[in-house]
Amino acid sequence: MRYFTKQQGQKEAVPVDLEALGQDRYRLTVNGQSYQVDALSVDQGTLSLLVDGQSYNVEFEENGDEIGTLVRGQVNRTDVADERKLRMRAAAGSFSVEGRQVILAPMPGKVVKVLVKVGEEVKEGQGLVVVEAMKMENELKSPKAGKVTEVFAKEGTAVENNAKLIVVE
Amino acid sequence: MPKIRKVLVANRGEIAIRVMRTCKDLGIATVAVYSEADRSALHVRTADQAYFVGPPPSRESYLVQERILEVAKQSGADAIHPGYGFLSENASFVRACEKAGITFIGPPAAAMDAMGEKTRARANMIKAGVPVVPGTTEPIATIEEAREYARNIGFPIMLKAAGGGGGKGMRRVEGLGDFDSAWRSAKSEALNAFGNDSVYIEKYLEKPHHVEIQVFADQYGNTIHLNERECSAQRRHQKVVEETPSPILTAEMRAKMGEVAVKAAKAVNYVGAGTVEFLVDVHRNFYFLEMNTRLQVEHPVTEWVTGLDLVAMQIKAAEGEKLPLFEAPTPRGHAIEVRVYAEDPARNFMPSPGKIQALRVPSGPNVRDDSGVFAGFTVPNFYDPMISKLSVWGATREEAIARAKRALSEYVVKGITTNIRYLHGILSHPEFVAGDYDTSFLTREHTALLGAEDPKLSEVALLASTLHAFQRDQKRAKTLPAGASAGGNGRISPWRLALKSRRR
Repeated sequence: MRYFTKQQGQKEAVPVDLEALGQDRYRLTVNGQSYQVDALSVDQGTLSLLVDGQSYNVEFEENGDEIGTLVRGQVNRTDVADERKLRMRAAAGSFSVEGRQVILAPMPGKVVKVLVKVGEEVKEGQGLVVVEAMKMENELKSPKAGKVTEVFAKEGTAVENNAKLIVVE
Repeated sequence: MPKIRKVLVANRGEIAIRVMRTCKDLGIATVAVYSEADRSALHVRTADQAYFVGPPPSRESYLVQERILEVAKQSGADAIHPGYGFLSENASFVRACEKAGITFIGPPAAAMDAMGEKTRARANMIKAGVPVVPGTTEPIATIEEAREYARNIGFPIMLKAAGGGGGKGMRRVEGLGDFDSAWRSAKSEALNAFGNDSVYIEKYLEKPHHVEIQVFADQYGNTIHLNERECSAQRRHQKVVEETPSPILTAEMRAKMGEVAVKAAKAVNYVGAGTVEFLVDVHRNFYFLEMNTRLQVEHPVTEWVTGLDLVAMQIKAAEGEKLPLFEAPTPRGHAIEVRVYAEDPARNFMPSPGKIQALRVPSGPNVRDDSGVFAGFTVPNFYDPMISKLSVWGATREEAIARAKRALSEYVVKGITTNIRYLHGILSHPEFVAGDYDTSFLTREHTALLGAEDPKLSEVALLASTLHAFQRDQKRAKTLPAGASAGGNGRISPWRLALKSRRR
C-alpha cells in the first residue's frame, strides 16, 4: 500500500510504502530506506512503536486528513493521503496567501473591536479585528497587503470557532 | 472563635479543588458554586454540595456577591474561601461576609483596601518606608495627561490597571507611537476584568527580576515571611514558571527582602496569606511592586520547600489560631512550578478552549499536579486559559529541573492545544538552566522556546502517521458493507453516490 505524506514546511509529498507483516509488524519504506516496525495499539489513539529497538510512545490526534502526533514531547502534523485522495486534492488546488483571504475566528470568543472598514487598504500584518477569548484579547492580523472587501465581524457579538470575520483581497 | 465546619469555595477550576482537598483533610465539609458553563466541572464533583449561581460570564455568576452569600446561607456554610481571582481581593465582599456573619478566609477588608488599589498601596508603602518603582501615585484621568506624564518620566513605561492582577490591563509601552492604542486596550481590559478602568503609569525597569515574598500573619499581629519565589518567566505579565529559592538571591538578600515584606504587611495590619511582589534591578536593588492580598497560583512551590499547607494555615488563622511558627523556615531543597495553559504558543498564544479528548497526568516521586480538568471536559471559553499547575521538588535546582522535564514528558492532553512543549523549551533553555533570566526572557527568546524539531522524531512521526492512516483505513474497510470503498472517506457507499448523481 502506498501513501503520500507531507509534514509541515515540506513542499513535495513523500511516498511511503507500507507492507503489513502480521502480528502488529510492518515494513515501511521511505525514500529507499526500509524500517522494520512493531506497532502495538495500546489505547484509543495511542501506539507503542518499536523501531530498531528504540521505543516510542505515540499519541495521535486526527483533524481531517491531517494527523497530529506527539512523540517524546514533539508535536508533528502530517498530511497523509492514499493515491485516490491525492488525485482529489490535486484537483482542488493548493493553498497559498495569494488571492482572496478569509480571516476566520481561530477559537470561539467575542468580537471586541473591528479595526477596519470595507474598502480600506491594509498592509500585511496590520490588525483587522480583536477577539476576546478566555479573558485575553487577541488581535487578528492581515496575512497579506490588500483591500478589505467584506466585514462579517460585529463588535460585541459572540463568534464560533472558524466563523468568517473579514475578507481581504 | 468557633471552628469552621463548612466552607463555601467561591471559585472554580484547580484552585477550588485545591482548597476543597485541604478542607477534607481537616474534616471540613465543602460547598461548590458553578455557572452554566461549569455544571460538569471537576470542582462541582469534588464538593459535598454544589449550587448553581448564574450564566457563564463571571460577572453574572462567580462575581455576583449577593448570589454567593445566598448560597452560603442556603447551604449552611459558616466560611467562604475565595481562592484567587474573582472575589478574592474584593473588600466590599469581605464586608458583606462580615455583615452576614460568615467568616471570610482571607485578610480583613481594611488591609485589602490599603493594598487593593495599587496607587493607594504605593502611597502607603512610601509612607511605611518601603522602596517603590518610580511612577504615579494616582490613577490618571485623561489620555492627554497620561501621555504627558509618560513623556516626562521617559519611555519605556508600564501602564497598569489600578485594580488589577494577573497581567490584565497591563501594557509595556515603548514610545509615544504605541501609547494611545496601549492606553485604550489597558483600560478596556481593566474594565472587563475588574469592573474598574483606572490605569496608572510606572517607569519600566530594564531587565528586572520579579521576586516575591510569601508572608503570613495571624490575628494577634504575629507576621512572618515564608521565603521568596522567583517569577521572572512571564509573558504578557502572566507568570508561566515559578521556582523557589530564587537562583539570584543570597541569604542576606532573602532576609532583607523578607524583613521589608513583613514591614509592608504589618503596615496594613495584615492577616492570613499574602504576597509582596518586588522587582529586582540589575544592581540587585529591590522595589515594591504590589501586594497580593490572597493565596497565589504559585503557592505550591512554597509548600514544597517549607512543608507547610498554606490553605490549612489560612483556615486556622481565620479560626483565630496562633501562627504555628514565628520565623521563616530555612528552604529545604528546590521546587519548580509550570503552568499548563490551553493555548497555542506557535500561534501567538492563541487561546484553545474545547473538549479534552484524552488526558494523562504525570506522577511519580515528588511530582504534584493541581488540575481542574479531566478527559471529556470541555474547557470553557469564559475563564482563564490555565488548566493545571505542575509542580515538582528536587534536592537541588538541577534535580528539580530534570524532574519537571520528566513530568512534562509524561503529560498528555489531547483535543486542545497546550503549552506543554513550550514549557519544556523554557526548562531546557541555557538561560533558565543558568538561573539568570529576567522578565523579558520569554519575549526575547520566543523562537528558541518554541523548540527546534528533532529530525529523528519527525521521521518517527512520519512512520507513525502512515501506520495510523493504514490502521484507520483497515478498520473502516472492516465496518463498511461489501463493495464500499475503503480508500475514500469511508462514510458513503459508492451506491449512494451513484444514486445521488442520477438524481441531479
